[in-house]
Order: sequence, then C-alpha cells, then structure tokens
Amino acid sequence: MSTSRICPEWPQVDKNEYRGIWVYVEHQNGVIKDGSLQLIGKARELASKVNVDVTAVMVGYKLGDLVKELIYYGADRVVYVDDEALAVYMPHVYASVIVNLVNKYKPEVVLFAATKRGRELAPYVANTLRTGITADCTDLDIDVKTRDLDQVRPTYGGNILAHIRTPTRRPQLASVRPNVFPTPPRDTSRKGEVIREVINNLPKPNGSLISIKPVTKGDSDLPPVEKADIVVAAGRGVGGPEGVKLLVELAKAIGGTVGGTKKVTDAGWLPVDRQIGQTGKTVRPTLYIGVGVSGAIQHIFGMKESKIIVAINSDPNAPIFEYADYGIVGDYRQVIQALLELLNQRRAGKGS
Amino acid sequence: MGATVISQVTPTQGVGKGEGLTIIVPVKAAVPNITAVRLDPVTHNLVREGVPLMLNPYDRNALEFALRLKDRYGGRVITLSMAPPSGKDFLESTIGMGADEAYLITDRVFAGADTLATSYTVAMTIRKLFPEFNLVVMGEETTDSTTAHMPAQVASWLGLPYLYYVVDGEVNLKEGTVRLTRYLEDEGVFEEYEFQMPVIVSVYKGSNPPREISLSRKIQARLGNLVKSVTNNELKLDQYCVGLRGSPTIVAKIEDAKPIPRKKQVFKGDPKEAAKWLIDNLTKEGVIKP
Repeated sequence: MSTSRICPEWPQVDKNEYRGIWVYVEHQNGVIKDGSLQLIGKARELASKVNVDVTAVMVGYKLGDLVKELIYYGADRVVYVDDEALAVYMPHVYASVIVNLVNKYKPEVVLFAATKRGRELAPYVANTLRTGITADCTDLDIDVKTRDLDQVRPTYGGNILAHIRTPTRRPQLASVRPNVFPTPPRDTSRKGEVIREVINNLPKPNGSLISIKPVTKGDSDLPPVEKADIVVAAGRGVGGPEGVKLLVELAKAIGGTVGGTKKVTDAGWLPVDRQIGQTGKTVRPTLYIGVGVSGAIQHIFGMKESKIIVAINSDPNAPIFEYADYGIVGDYRQVIQALLELLNQRRAGKGS
Repeated sequence: MGATVISQVTPTQGVGKGEGLTIIVPVKAAVPNITAVRLDPVTHNLVREGVPLMLNPYDRNALEFALRLKDRYGGRVITLSMAPPSGKDFLESTIGMGADEAYLITDRVFAGADTLATSYTVAMTIRKLFPEFNLVVMGEETTDSTTAHMPAQVASWLGLPYLYYVVDGEVNLKEGTVRLTRYLEDEGVFEEYEFQMPVIVSVYKGSNPPREISLSRKIQARLGNLVKSVTNNELKLDQYCVGLRGSPTIVAKIEDAKPIPRKKQVFKGDPKEAAKWLIDNLTKEGVIKP
C-alpha cells in the first residue's frame, strides 16, 4: 500500500479490507420503496462480477417482517437496526447509524435510491466516512481488476454522461435514480442471514418531527405536475388564460394535469408551482403534450425525459418538433376541440 | 476495532440579545448556458476561463428564504462562495438582492475540488469567520452539476442537524429554535420539523420566488468594494484536504449523452383528422386507454 500523504481529517483506509455490496433500503409507513428493491437487483449483478455478497441495510422502528422481504428480493444478508429512537426519521441520526454499520462491516460499495430522502441522506454518510459519492446515477458497473465502481451520471443539463470513480477510498457511495433498473422477482423460498445490530451512541436529534400533512390540492383539482402520468403543458402560444382553460379541459378528459413554460407562469396564466423547466419542475410523465410551446432549451430541460412527447403548434419551424414523437401543425384550439370530441365519443361508446 | 465516526453535535445556543439572526448563505457560480459547456480534455473538469459566471438560480431561492427570515426577525445575511477571482461579480449581485456582506473564497489551492473538498473549504470558512452563526441556508442543487451534496456535507463537517426541501421557516428567538416546513415532492407530503439552532437548511427549488436584484445596491457593492476576498493565507487549511488533492472522486471518462430517440412524425392538415391520427397513435403506444 502506498503511504502517500492524505488529509489528516481522513482515516487511513486499506482497500482490501472492504468487501461486499450494500444497499440502503428506504421504507415509509411499512412499505419498501421500489427504488431500493430495484437496487438489490442491480447489486446482485455487481456482486456476482466480483464474487461477493449483497447486504440490504434497514433502519427504523418496529420493522417486523419487512426485513425478510429483502431476502425474498435477492439480498444474501440483512443488517438492520430497530430502535424506538429511530421511530422518527432525522437525517443526521439515520446517517450516523449507517456510518456505524459501515465502519463495523466495511463494505466496498453502498448504494442508495435517489429518492428525495435518499438524496438527503447519502451525502452525509459519504462525507462522515470521508469518501466519495456520486449522485443520481443512471448506470453502474464494477471494474473486476481494481474493484472500482463505475458510476455513470448525466451532467450539465443531461448533455454529457460522466463516469465517476473513487479510486483510493472505500466504501464507494452512489445514489441511483429510481426506475432505471427493473424490480427483481419476489421469491419467498430464498433464504438468508438476518442480523440485528444495536447502536449505543446515537447522536442527539436536537430536533423533532411536529407534523406530516399530505399536499392539499388548493384551488385546483388537478394533481401537481411532478406527480402526474400525463402532463398538458401550455406555452406562450396559447395566448392567455382562456387558452389555458381549454388545456385544463383536455387534461381532465385524458386524466392528466396542466403545467406551463416560464413565460406562462411569469404572465400569471398558471401558478408558479406548475412551471416546467430549468428553473421550475422536472417532469418525466408517460405522456407530455406541449401546446403552443416553442421549445426553448430551458423548458426542454424539464421535460425531455418524458416517455412520449406530443407537440401542437401553429409554427412548423418551432424547435419543439425536434423533440417530439408526434407533432401537429395547426391551430391548437381547433385541434383540442377535435380531440375533446373524440375522447367524449370514446367515453360515450364505452358507456353504452 | 470498529471505531465510530459519530460527529458530535455542538452545544445548542440561544440567539444574541436583540441582534437577530446570523444567516450564512453559501452560493455557487453556475454555468449559465448548460448546453454550451466545454470540458477540459484531460481532467474532464469544466473549463471556466471565458465562461461568464452566474449565480446558480436555485441559490436565489435560498437567499430569498434567508432574507425573509432577516426581514421578520432581524439580523444579517452573509453570502459566501468558493470561486475564481471573477466570482466577485456574481457575489455583488447577492448584495444587490439584499445580503449584508459577501465573501469570495478564492485560492489556487482550492481548484479542482469535488463536493467533499468544496464542502470542507466552505464549512471551515464558516467555522472560522462566523462561529456564532444560527443558520446555514443553501440552494437545493445547482443547475449545472445537480448533485445536491453540499448541504448534507457541510452539515457533516460541522456535526450539525440538517433538513432538505425546506419551503418555510419560523424562528423562536428566545428559545433559539426554528420550525421548518419541507416538501417531499415524490411522497406528496409536507413535513414540519423543529430544531434547536444552529441547523443547516437546504431550500426547495420550487419555493421562495426570489426578489429582484437592485442595480443600485449592486453598483454600491462594486464601488464600495463590499465583496471581501478570503484566501488560504487566512484560512490555513491543509492543502491535502482541499482542491484536487482533497477530492476522493475523479471523472474517469466523459461521453456525449445519447438523447432519447424521437419519432418526429408530424401531421399537417384538417384538425379533425389530426386529432384522430394522434389518438390512434397514442392508443397504439399504450399511453392512453382505448
């Protein structure tokens, strides 16, 4: 091993002491997050390349049978901490529990689902271990020779894929976007080791959770843009609030919601929490319909990962057609009226 | 062995008598046009020469959050940023928005830092210059690198509690506590936490729409030389903990991301036929129910 100087804030690390792939498993109200289960599947693949085990890690209170599920989904081993002091999620406390477990077992890789909580938790764990972390990976591989994790993430607006490595430190941490890997099958005949750990020196919470409230829909009965499967987006081309009303009608008819470009929310035609784009929300619906949206890059940034993109615009040269699967050149009012009629007919036809 | 690296939370502190809050807002110079980025062919780091620096848009939401607290409870808002010397300009715009002071952390030894080394530099600057701070408020992420690492990492270096996606805050000056409401987009819930200050706050990017930058205040900042520079001569950080050498991650390779291929089918003509064509295709794709 090289004895080159390192930051005195970092512990010396012998890479060869670190073995095994870990997945931190997130759960909420007794339900395991899909993103975590998907990572157990990917971890299996990485583990078999370097011939090590997959360990799933769970932290909380009254976990019960939840831990067994992790074996069913493909973990060789579960390490969990079940403590009343962990009944409420506190980011720095949960992170410290994971740090303790890592220091005891020394895995070479620790993966987190890049959910909102996962993105909050993982960097604190990595930093406290004085090791590297890569956020929002869309692919992972492991170098059989160096055992370095190849962490692939889109960066600079998604135009570039960066391959990040942590060559000198262990463990290697990454958060991975949910839904890039499939959920492995659940097999209740699988067997594995389940270990309960007790942590004695939890940090003080210095705070408490007061309340949890589901989002109220406010004056709109449409879901928020980031949660909808279908998003109808208004651009400046809809002309004004009247045009937006027509889009709301279309959204309701196809079971979607309404969002808009910055121009539209700046003009007050839609509330600012419905802005899609670089300075607003990022959406990845199965269907995005842009109406009167020209296709400025700042808006494209927030919707380009939609499964199917539809553009309706009177200008055949609008840049959005370059990003669309299906484009219609024409007057959006006439096209939407025709769409509404067709959708109504289909509904009536089904009812008879 | 199994030594543990539990960071000790520093003792809680009340808030100075009648002086209000000390709020630190670390900010970043983001690349304004993420589509025109140039990377160094050897290090794969961003080429910053000749690229105009702009205040990361989400940091403006964080600054707005901090300024609203200052408006309500009094005190001062201090921005700081680790950036090349040209970063003075975008720090002037934070004063233009309402910050009381701004600090540019700039030194060659800080160059090439990943998020671990950057957070170390920022955290140690805060500890050295403003040990009496009550809140560190940061943007959710940057528009160019979008890691969202920094708030948690700064919290880890300082051994403090932290919370992401915060939309609103309410301070109890007497108790030295803050109530934070945060929005978890993927769960569709608001959570309300109460913390003993100091605490590290990351502000949800869809909240706290920022106020305008006052041009006259910005010019005052320029003429009065209000942005102060801090180098490693003052900070005296170990050179192995900062910059490239303090960074455990490397960019091993970069490649162009392949955009999702699109069908680019376009229909021109009768609106009724267009509507039928679209509905038929969307049904075939399985994205709307037949």
